[in-house]
Amino acid sequence: MSVIDTPAQGSSTPERPRAFIRPDGKEKVTGLGRYTADLTFTGQLHAAFRYADHPHARIVSIDTSRARALPGVFAVVTHEDVPDVRYGGMTQDRRLFAKEKVLWEGDVVAGVAARTVEIAREAAALVEVEYEVLPAQPDYVANMAPDAPVLHEGWAEYGADENLVRDGNVMSRYVIAKGDADAAMAGADVVVKSHYVSDASQGVPIEPRALVAQWTGDSVTVWSSTQVPFAARSGVAHTLQIPESKVRIVVPLLGGGFGSKCDFHFEAHVAILAKVTRRPVRLVFTRKEEFVAPDHRREGMDIELETGVTREGRIVARRGRLVLDKGAYTGEGGFFAQMAAMHACGPYKLDSVRVEAFLNYSTNQPSSSIRAPTAPQACWALEQHLDEVAAAIGMDPVELRRRTLVAEGDEGPAGQVFEKIGAKETLEAALELIGYDAYLRGELPDDEAVGVACGWWPCFGVPSGAYVKLNGDGTATIVTGAQENGSGSVMGLPILAAEILGMSPSDFSINYQDTDAGPWDMGSSGSQTTFNNGRAVVEAAQQVRAKLLAMGAEKLEADVADLELADGTVRVKGAPETSVTIADLAGTGEPILGKGSGEVPEAAPSDASACVGSLGMESFLAPQLITHAARVKVDRDTGVVRVLDFAAAHDSGVIVNKVGADGQVYGGVMMGIGQALTEATWTDEEGRQKNPGLLDYKLQTASDGPRIQIRWIEIETANAGPKGSKGVGEPPSVPTSGAVGNAIAKVIGRHVDRLPMTAERVWLAANSPAGEDQ
Amino acid sequence: MAVDITLSVNGVPYPLTVDPHASLLHTVRGDVGLTGSKEGCDDSECGACMMLVDGRPVNSCSYLAVQADGSDVTTVEGLSDGETLAPLQEAFLTRGGVQCGFCTPGMLVSATALLDRSPDPSEDEIRTAVSGNLCRCTGYDGIVKAIAAVAAERAAQG
Repeated sequence: MSVIDTPAQGSSTPERPRAFIRPDGKEKVTGLGRYTADLTFTGQLHAAFRYADHPHARIVSIDTSRARALPGVFAVVTHEDVPDVRYGGMTQDRRLFAKEKVLWEGDVVAGVAARTVEIAREAAALVEVEYEVLPAQPDYVANMAPDAPVLHEGWAEYGADENLVRDGNVMSRYVIAKGDADAAMAGADVVVKSHYVSDASQGVPIEPRALVAQWTGDSVTVWSSTQVPFAARSGVAHTLQIPESKVRIVVPLLGGGFGSKCDFHFEAHVAILAKVTRRPVRLVFTRKEEFVAPDHRREGMDIELETGVTREGRIVARRGRLVLDKGAYTGEGGFFAQMAAMHACGPYKLDSVRVEAFLNYSTNQPSSSIRAPTAPQACWALEQHLDEVAAAIGMDPVELRRRTLVAEGDEGPAGQVFEKIGAKETLEAALELIGYDAYLRGELPDDEAVGVACGWWPCFGVPSGAYVKLNGDGTATIVTGAQENGSGSVMGLPILAAEILGMSPSDFSINYQDTDAGPWDMGSSGSQTTFNNGRAVVEAAQQVRAKLLAMGAEKLEADVADLELADGTVRVKGAPETSVTIADLAGTGEPILGKGSGEVPEAAPSDASACVGSLGMESFLAPQLITHAARVKVDRDTGVVRVLDFAAAHDSGVIVNKVGADGQVYGGVMMGIGQALTEATWTDEEGRQKNPGLLDYKLQTASDGPRIQIRWIEIETANAGPKGSKGVGEPPSVPTSGAVGNAIAKVIGRHVDRLPMTAERVWLAANSPAGEDQ
Repeated sequence: MAVDITLSVNGVPYPLTVDPHASLLHTVRGDVGLTGSKEGCDDSECGACMMLVDGRPVNSCSYLAVQADGSDVTTVEGLSDGETLAPLQEAFLTRGGVQCGFCTPGMLVSATALLDRSPDPSEDEIRTAVSGNLCRCTGYDGIVKAIAAVAAERAAQG
């Protein structure tokens, strides 16, 4: 990795640099860096898949003879060519290649390796599959009816997490409960009920995924554009029934993921093709495949909420029912029912709670992690619902939030008692940035309004590991299992190590995203890299520091307690001329290295005794709090909404790398605005995608962007990561669509109850009488 | 039927034999061996493949190699010598214009074309000039600021 000096360096103080230039920056701006699709291998073949021809069908037979006979084809593989094992997180419900049934249009039936991409695709089309076509079941709400055909007939026999409550098409049922919500609701001054429905949307990394697999002996290396190399390694080992030591996953530069490249995907498909052909095999997705084939999208969600309040704005009861579209397979999204339920509660004081969430199978594309999974949809519904509650008691919606947001000492939905927390501070900051007082004074034109929404997101405390080793010239290398997705979180790790070692961040190189090098890591998911791997790097650097101090003490004939590390030296405090350089100490040939994982912080205790199907997320570890405020303009004639101004106030603890953290908010807010207004996967009546391309799936462009103002609320947080940090990457997408939705409602006088809030839906909401369907 | 053409890429002439349907993008990435330009959609929707053809920005995925016969083609690799960064490249890094980097080559080419034709662009002009380049990471903020900063520096230097 190349390293570029940052402007703030050269200062001898160990304080964090104000501006930090990412070590992978130079290779990215010069075009010299290699992404997976940029790799070529001598003798390589090209892969293509035959996908399901129907969203739901029983496979009667598969005949690959015509495909195999096509000149230039080296191999055609099906379920017969791989071990007969199922895989999946929390529920093992999927095979590499469909065997008995196909359950969605992206199910892989066969894989081809051929001399060119064109031949591979032609051969994939020549695979003859005989089906018994079954009715598609895209309606994920209807699929939980007692008489709905069960999609996974053998579900009860699947390996599954014992804490999941499963029943036929319900892959997971979860209830969060506190107090007697029914009785409290009956005693409320005012009760408001709402129903919101969110369509599915997509992660849309600009890099379509790419993989290359090559065997040497009985070991395989897969270069893959994955966010989670260790999960990919486990997936290959499990599905091909080989030891993990025989599988190496290397991630070249990764062109974005946003969750869609989490989980084990296609590494084993390409590996088996490379094995049978004894050639390197390369797979690069088209943009259409990038939309249709991954078992990752933001799920559709049907959300019913009911809140009972006093006239003073105390929330005495929250009830809710959420139904989530899991799609055909579990993937890594088995915990989504619980996560969605937490977001239907939100960071608010609730006297009593009963929220039930169902994660249902359908014959749609599977859902799984996309940036803050389940939160944007549930938060969009809850925050609009809260504005409806405020209106019902004649209170300004901001005032209702002031009275109900959690603060230190308050209880979460299952009894978690919060320590110091910045929810209310983010609210006031966002109001100030957006100019809420001016809006209240009526200073905006009548086609503009300001909407406000709050949200939260947990930190995920998981094990992680890193090594720090000094090189002979006094530079250092961080060897980490962490994965860089573009956010800069891995690129920021040298900041943490440099401070401990009295070195400059530019003194460090980083060896990352190679499963044979770094220790196990969860990968680029859950906004966890700084939080967990940062802790590992800090511990490793502390070991190096201890070693340097001991060596320095001997060399300088001084007491360790009198020494400090600064400016690349070990020196006597107050007498910096008495020093030895780190280069001198490191150049002796004695290895100076540290390894760390750090102690995993735990969430505050909570009471899940009244909950059903708990997976342990009733308590949010080191919660991140967010308030977003949006000023929008609505064209009443067309329903077109434009976000003019946006304020994002975040409590993400102490910010380690401000340029990187700001970048997460700018990008996350724009992704959130896209999800609010334009981004949806439209499907036909059988669940096939109708807009798997960037012309019809509309991302926000540079021309669409509002002014975005950011404020970080840096407060001390219990159980935080290094330097008091929390996660940063996912929260910026959480309350965005809620803020936009509340602003739209203030202009048109009615809440749009479908997400995304497209021009057509806004127009229909504005022009349909109250009480009628939009 | 293959066709003989000559592409001048970043000042270096390449005599090539290409299929008539080969795109400029695939030819430069494959035959010329410069992989800085990216393929994000193969349909002129994302801008990751943007190159300059005789100074004009084009989506090279939807431009035939034979159309560029005899033309001067500039890719991201041609914006600097790879050691000393061009001011736009430097500004993208210092102002948070780069995250995953997959859109960056196309963005830089579009920005270069903008500043070549309009040395003192307004923010709206900048946003319009890169509106054919999709970025999912940065929200465009760092990119727009970087382009504006380079324009301002140039203006200050006269």
